[in-house]
Amino acid sequence: MNKQLESLFLQVQKPSRYTGGELNSVTKNKDEVAVRFAFCFPDLYEVGMSHLGMKILYSQFNNEPDVWCERVFTPDSDMEALMRQHDIPLYGLESRDPIRAFDFIGFTLQYEMSYTAVLHMLDLAGVPLRAADRDEGFPLVVAGGPCACNPEPLADFIDLFFLGEGEEVDLEVINLYKEHKAKGYNKKAFLRACADIEGVYVPSLYDVSYNEDGTVAAITPLDGVRPTVKKRIIKDLNNCYYPDSFVVPYTDIVFDRAQSEIFRGCIRGCRFCQAGFIYRPVREKSVDTIDRQSHDLCRSTGYEEFSLSSLSTSDYTHLEELLDRLLDWAEPEHTNISLPSLRIDGFSEELANRLNVLRRAGLTFAPEAGTQRLRDAINKNLTEEEILETVSKAFKGGWTAVKLYFMTGLPTETLEDIEGIANLGQKVVNAFYANPDKPKGKGVTVSVSASCFVPKPFTPFQWEPQDTLEQLQEKQQHLVDSVHTKKISLSWHDAKTSLLEAVLARGDRRLCRVLEEAHKRGFNLDSWSEHFDFDSWMQVFADCNLDPAFYANRRRPYEEILPWDHLDYGVTKAFLIRENKLAHEATTTPNCRQACSGCGAACWKEGVCVENR
Amino acid sequence: MLKTVRLVFSKTGRAKYVSHLDLVRTMTRAVRRAEIPLWYTEGFNRHPYLTFAAPLSLGFESVAETMDIRLEEDMDYADLVARLNAVLPEGLQVLSAAEAVAKAGVLSAATYRLTLDCPAETVQAALAAPELLVEKKTKKKTMKTIDILPHFASATVETGETGAVMTVSLPCSSAETVNPSLFLTALNAFTGHEWTMQVLRLGLFQADGTPFA
Repeated sequence: MNKQLESLFLQVQKPSRYTGGELNSVTKNKDEVAVRFAFCFPDLYEVGMSHLGMKILYSQFNNEPDVWCERVFTPDSDMEALMRQHDIPLYGLESRDPIRAFDFIGFTLQYEMSYTAVLHMLDLAGVPLRAADRDEGFPLVVAGGPCACNPEPLADFIDLFFLGEGEEVDLEVINLYKEHKAKGYNKKAFLRACADIEGVYVPSLYDVSYNEDGTVAAITPLDGVRPTVKKRIIKDLNNCYYPDSFVVPYTDIVFDRAQSEIFRGCIRGCRFCQAGFIYRPVREKSVDTIDRQSHDLCRSTGYEEFSLSSLSTSDYTHLEELLDRLLDWAEPEHTNISLPSLRIDGFSEELANRLNVLRRAGLTFAPEAGTQRLRDAINKNLTEEEILETVSKAFKGGWTAVKLYFMTGLPTETLEDIEGIANLGQKVVNAFYANPDKPKGKGVTVSVSASCFVPKPFTPFQWEPQDTLEQLQEKQQHLVDSVHTKKISLSWHDAKTSLLEAVLARGDRRLCRVLEEAHKRGFNLDSWSEHFDFDSWMQVFADCNLDPAFYANRRRPYEEILPWDHLDYGVTKAFLIRENKLAHEATTTPNCRQACSGCGAACWKEGVCVENR
Repeated sequence: MLKTVRLVFSKTGRAKYVSHLDLVRTMTRAVRRAEIPLWYTEGFNRHPYLTFAAPLSLGFESVAETMDIRLEEDMDYADLVARLNAVLPEGLQVLSAAEAVAKAGVLSAATYRLTLDCPAETVQAALAAPELLVEKKTKKKTMKTIDILPHFASATVETGETGAVMTVSLPCSSAETVNPSLFLTALNAFTGHEWTMQVLRLGLFQADGTPFA
């Protein structure tokens, strides 16, 4: 196969995506390992190689002497065509062996639009799509990541899901597999045993029945398994495995830099944000840990830049101290620090200058909503005054471009809120012209970007209807009509993609048929607009007798059994209902450091839940 | 005192699929990992100084690539080579290091070994033809037809394990460069067959025949 592959590499775009052999990639002797794991990212190499979670688990698995983990990505169309033409099945980049012969095929589920790529990759691997059609002769197909919090649309394809953080539970399953393999592996017995591990969800051991109206009637555990499966968290991030090296790709990827995780979870509780709820509670790494891990990574990769990774960098409790420590070596070594999702208002001028914060990142705000009322409803803790004060400062410093991110279709939103987006943009423009020292001959550019709200499981908005396509398009048009200056450049997301996301995010097992049919019709890489064909998707739903509106546009009563009700992410339904009601009253909830709102994540007695209490 | 050091390195195996742009990035990171006292350019976007004499086409292998780096302080070259080789990915290996003497402008020719899957006689027949015409892109991006036969006048052809093995020296300068892949194009047109060819660059030379590095 190797020789045949070599002949293909020179016929495709960016062949180093398919060759393997990058710096720090791990090669082992396949005869000396007990478990071979194909870690699949269901998207192109450039996207998958940017993902921190995959880097952590890849290194951690390979840290085990008898486990060999390899990377697998979705081949681009040109490579896929050649692979099919030459009967080359999907292979692991390190060994170039077909993953069909591995022990595990694992997928990370980062976004709903990657689901078709999951099926596509299984097909390219030569593995039956449905779990029930795979016996002991096939690899176990497992999956984790944020979308595993409602894995039901993939329930028929995946043997087991990992809920929550993977560092511990993944290895527990791998170790159990080794035991079972040693004494004669039986898939059914193994899955049953896995179902007793906290954080492991085996969908085939839960039966789902439906009411006539299509809602879930009951979720019944089979074979004596637990009625609910609770996600796993890492209790102490300072003593948790973190890689001291990353695979360094040859080709340019989306985030081509070292990444250092500084904390997990988010104290904010923005009501639309799934990450803000499913990763609770907030747990920080110490300054010492981050400093050591960042420096190790930069030394082993040679990266000229590293970023601090978290959901909200500014909420790290010792940020200035941390940056001081990092700059002590980063400056002399010519290494840049990048700080995504940073609120720059709280920074001392000296530190801001040392970091060159503004120059690199540009000025970006995510007010998400155009009026204070709606920002209160979604619990987005950012006021107009704060934004205008910061941009005024930046304009005085010579800056001429600002980016503002908004969402349309938020619960309780009216056309007035849409106009508020344009108004806020206008006020930023005005702030520029109010500056007496503005640079001569230069105008201002305010980029306003509007995405479409997608209701997600485990958020206070999990019961909310998504606006229909017509409503979303009407609002987008209203936004266009409300902007009266060329200083504001407007862009928006395609509402059609958001509709499909909404269906898959809160879907049930009946959608497995839809995904299977979509796969049969050749759908793949739907997160890429050139691949996404909305009308064909709607045809698949029609042919499967399922209505997308049932999943996306219907208000669900609090009493309804939700497809993910048997999964436990710490946050309780009672809390989410409370938050939902507060949203409709446009009342905010304090963040985790101001006051505990009793979300339920305190059950782990970790992080912010036990800080200073 | 800034020193410019010329490194000779090989690019073989999996590394042959690394494009020139990606190679620059890869080498920049390698010299950083090796903790070599690099000189950084001044200004807003500071970066280390790295230059490559004659970029290699994607898919070609080489045992004679050169890269110039500029050091802030002098260091032992054997140590420099060892440190780089400890951190380079599979397929890239530094063979030697020396102070850069020859300017890039004196580069004149490159020698190649071309391994084909056709018999040596087929290659010899092509070389015995009155002319070998191929379309070649000019610097102005237009196409022109050239006869490559004169460039292959001194080529030697032997029979190797898989077929013909040709050794040839071709122009490689800012004024004129002949890519060895042109020969395959011409051969395939001449024979009406889809042969394949592996390219290995063997050396870089100045006009008087002395090695470039």
